[in-house]
This record gives sequence, C-alpha cells and structure tokens, in this order.
Amino acid sequence: MSGRSIRRRLSVRDMEAILAVTAKLAAPFDLMTMLSEVVSAAKQVLHADRGSVWLYDAAADQLVLEIATGIAPVRVPANAGIAGACAQTRRIINVPDCYADDRFNPDVDKQSNYRTRCMLTLPLVDHKDVLVGVMQLLNKADGVFDENDEALATTLAAQCAVALQRVRMTEAVIEGEKMRQELEMARVVQMSTLPAVMPSLEGYDVYGTTQPASLTGGDTFDLSATDRGVLIVLGDATGHGIAPALSVTQMHAMLRMAFRLGADLESAFMHVNNQLAATLADDRFITAFIGLLDETAHRVRFHSGGQAPILHFQSATGTCARHDPTSFPLAAMPLTSLRPAVCLDMLPGDMLVLLSDGIYEYHDAHGEQFGEQRVEAILRESQGKSMAELSALLLDAVHVFAKGAPQEDDMTLVLVKRHAAATANRTFRRSFDSLQPIFAFTSDFLARHGIDPGILPTVDLTVEELFTNMVKYSPAGGAEVRIEMAAIAGGVEVALTDYDVERFDVTRAPDVDTGLPIDQRHPGGLGLHLIRRLVDSMDYEYSTESRRSRITFRKTSAGPVPPRAMPKDEGKDAFD
Amino acid sequence: MLSIDFGAGGAVVIAGRLDAAQAQAAQTFLDGVQGAVTLDCSGLEYISSAGLGVLLKTQKRLLASSGKLRLTGVNRHLQDIFRYSGFDQIFEIEAAP
Repeated sequence: MSGRSIRRRLSVRDMEAILAVTAKLAAPFDLMTMLSEVVSAAKQVLHADRGSVWLYDAAADQLVLEIATGIAPVRVPANAGIAGACAQTRRIINVPDCYADDRFNPDVDKQSNYRTRCMLTLPLVDHKDVLVGVMQLLNKADGVFDENDEALATTLAAQCAVALQRVRMTEAVIEGEKMRQELEMARVVQMSTLPAVMPSLEGYDVYGTTQPASLTGGDTFDLSATDRGVLIVLGDATGHGIAPALSVTQMHAMLRMAFRLGADLESAFMHVNNQLAATLADDRFITAFIGLLDETAHRVRFHSGGQAPILHFQSATGTCARHDPTSFPLAAMPLTSLRPAVCLDMLPGDMLVLLSDGIYEYHDAHGEQFGEQRVEAILRESQGKSMAELSALLLDAVHVFAKGAPQEDDMTLVLVKRHAAATANRTFRRSFDSLQPIFAFTSDFLARHGIDPGILPTVDLTVEELFTNMVKYSPAGGAEVRIEMAAIAGGVEVALTDYDVERFDVTRAPDVDTGLPIDQRHPGGLGLHLIRRLVDSMDYEYSTESRRSRITFRKTSAGPVPPRAMPKDEGKDAFD
Repeated sequence: MLSIDFGAGGAVVIAGRLDAAQAQAAQTFLDGVQGAVTLDCSGLEYISSAGLGVLLKTQKRLLASSGKLRLTGVNRHLQDIFRYSGFDQIFEIEAAP
C-alpha cells in the first residue's frame, strides 16, 4: 500500500486522531505505559473493543505479551498463530471471522470469557525496517475492519513502532548507564592500588603508568621497594568489565603481601598462582610478569606467567634481547613445580621494557598493529631520555600511528633503566692542533653531566700539560692519545693513555724552585709543578709489556683551593 | 682562540686562551714590544705553562733593557697559576676588579 493511497483515503477526522496520538506517543513513557498508550490510541482510532501488542524478542525469536508490570510475560514462538504469521510476513492480516480461520486459537477467549469476532493484526516496523512487534485489534464496534481501517491502522502502526522502539532503546541506555557506573566503581578500586609515586632508586630510573580503555580493562602494574628488592609487576587479566579489574587488583594485593611477609620470588609466584586458580572463575586467567630488581647487583630475576614479550634493551649494542614467559598464565591451573627464574644483568644504560598487549596490538583503521618493531625503534632513538619521557614518547607514537582509531584495550608501561655510566672517551692526534677539540670535549662533558664549570680551567690546564708532554716526548705519527672522562661526586676523573712510550712517572717529577730570581727561571717542568698543586689527586701506571702509559687525575669542586690573597707587595719588591 | 694587539691606551690587550697551540702567535707579537709594557689580561680566560713561558721570555728581554711587563685585569684562575708558579714574584700583577 503506497503512501499516496493512504493519504487519499484518510479523512480529516482520522488525521486529527492520528496526530493527537502521535503527540501522546512522543511523551517519555516507560515501556508498560507506552504499550498501554499505543493500545488505547489504536482502539480509539479504529473503534476496536480490545487490543494488545506483542513485542518481538529477536534474540529468542519469540513474541512477548507484557500483561502488567511484575507479572511474567506470555511468550510464544514468533511463527505461532495469526500474530506469528504477521511477524513472519510483515503484512497486515484482516480476519473478519476468527472462528472460521484455522490459525486462530480460541483458548484465550475461553480463559477470558470473551468472544472474538473479527481481528486486525498489524506488523510494527520502525523506520529502520526493524520488526518491533505485532499489534492486534479485536471486534470493531460496528462491524468488521475494512480497507479504510487497514490504511488507518498502517499509518498508526508506523507511529507506534517508532515510539515503542524509542522506549526500548532508552531503557537499554539506562541499563547501560547503571552498568557504566558499576564499571567506574571497579575502575576506581583498580587504579587506587597502583603506585602513586615511583620508588627512588640509586642508579636507576623507573616509571610505570597505565592508560585505561573506555571500559574497565584488566591491566595492573607495580613498582615498589620490598625487602627482597624492587618488585616489578605487569599484569593483564582476560576480558573487560568488573571481573578482570577485580582479578588483577586481587593479584596485586596478594603479591605485595607475599613479599612483605618475606616470600621469595618462586614461592610468591606459585602461591599467588595457586590461590588465584582456586578462586577465579574457570575461564579467567591473568598474564603477569613478576620480577625483583637487585639494584646493587644490577640483576633482575623474574617469572612470567604468559606475559610477553619481555624486552631487555642492551645499551652496548643498541638492540633488544627478547625473553619468553617462564610459565603459563596465572590462575590457569595450579602449579606444582616451576622452571628456574630468568636473570637479566642490567649493564649501564640497559632498560627492561614491559608493555601490555594494548600497546603492541593497538591497530589503526586498516587493522595494522603497532607491533614490536616500532617499539624497538623508539627505544633505540631515546637512549638519553628519562623513563617518564620515554613512556610519553611511546604513548604519543601509538596515538600518531592509530590516526584516531579507538583504544580498545588498556595500555600499560613499566620501564626500568639503569643509568648510563657518565663516561666518555676519545682519541686525539698527537699535535698541538688537537688542543681545541680536546677543550671542546672537556667542556661538553662537564656541561652534559652538570659538573661545576668552575673546575674546567684546571681540568683543561692539566689535560693540556699532560697531552703536550706526550706530543713533545713521543715519536710523531704514533698511536693517538686516548682521553677518558668519568663523572665522580663533585667533579671528574680524567685518564690519558699514551702508547709505545718510555716510563715517565709524572707524579715523581721534581718540583720547580719558584723562589729563584728571574734570570735563573726557565719554563721547563712548570706544567707538572702546577698541575700537581691544582688537582685533587693523580696516579701513574705503566705497562712494561705494552709500553703503555696511563695518567689518571681527579678534580672536584671540593679539591685544593689556593690562598686567595695576592702578594702584590712582594711582587713589586722583586722589581723595584 | 687567542687575540693580541695594541689597545686604545697603548696597552697590549690579550684575550682568549693562551695555550700551547697559541703560544707562538703571542710570542711573535710580544717580541716586537719595548720598554714598560702593560698587558691587559681582562679578556684572558686561560693560560697554560706554554703561555707562562711566553711571558717569562718577554719579561727577561724587557728587564735586560730597563723595561718591564706589567699584567692587569688578572682573573682568579690566572692568579692561582701565577701564585703556584712563583710568577707573582717576577711580574707586577693587578687583579681583575
């Protein structure tokens, strides 16, 4: 039936009735009220004696008749009876004599002591072509339903379908909001267990953070000092929602308690696993890295229940060693024995990089994943960065990569870095022309490591005197001189190594007699005389086999400070 | 780097770093001065034993012809060097303000 034909047949009175009903249907009713409004509107417009609405439950493929709030609804298969036939065909069914129609079930009449003469059954289809339900109208007041009624009912049915669908969706949103509030609560509990501040460790920079997805995910992390070392945890529970959030929170608390009670790594891992296996639902598990850092031995020992990859960035080579889990995920099943823990030796500049799969598996609109290679490239390029900076760089890179694709999983980072040794070394050609690059090297080193620039002239003087001696007293064109610098408390340690030379112990060179009259003074030996007084200490080593000479000196801000008074008068006396 | 030249008031103005690589340039310039010479060191940041050798040689030459080299504007670091080397006894030195 076309829209044009409906419009032609509807009278002004009919139109007014439908418009009045439409206005009513726009009100924010609950479902039961809306059903009752729809039925009474249909009865009014079509002069029917009774009416009812069957809602279609698509998941169960059933038609559902809501009788009253609090009473269980009547459910029938979506193909049963006249209502079922209407739902299947989505066509209006006009039955002028019900008892003459095989599809009619007279039981309802018997139970309610009613006699159904004629019946109009209409599909309720919303404007997205979704079947909302079926409306039935019984016993027209003065006869049977005719073609005009069918047209009128069709127009009305469309309005009713939209109104009912709107109410159903609103109720779903309200239900979702309740769920969201519960998730929010679980999220607050989960986040409250994460470390609020990072532990401060001598020689290490550690950082952890988590960026939750919109729904509650199941990530957790820990970085905390215990009697057994620094506890490092990254955990990720399966699924989303309240259950995984609570699972990881439970694991987090159990681990902290275990290490507080003095458990070793193996006992803690096994007992926490077994306890979780006993209490979590059978389909739940948690992938977790659990490690302890001994920051004096520079060693991380860990077990990993299904958490991978475990990246050990090695500063010396600029590459990542990749470690696999030592066990299956926690809570999957009880453990009776455990493989040995894995040990990582943290050399200067090394990093332990633990990232949850929400980072590796973050995918862009085309389904490409962020992946490990991008992570490793960022690690290589960020060796001078703090762990907080590195964390921000990684998260930024993920967002740039995703180009607005939504975050579907929690993203958690746990980063542990052993500070790079504050050392530098370079070799210099045996020439006075090397002095300028040497001075650039020393001043750059002091600036880079925040060392008091007030000691720079003494450092430069000492290096120059030692270096120029090496230039003067060794064969030209020999091996280059190596200069090594290391930051020490309050200053620097500098070593100059010269190759293929005779022994000459600069620490034993004779002092210059500075009290001689000027005609007996000459510049020789003055350099060593000066630097022995200006530096904190100086050592000389010589290797007879390799003919290698190495001079090491230390200069700090707290080192020898010469008297400040200028003996001006004495100076004048010498001339006058 | 090092610069050395006569200043507005007749003093020799030396500035920069007087290290072993620059000593020869300074020596060449100072070999040309005579009499009582003031060396304005207020721009001199650094001196090593090579630089001290230049000053010593110049002072010896000037003293032999009744001249002398007087150093002004000498910074803390240079004062330490002159003191430790005993050069504060063979030069008249005026510290930087």
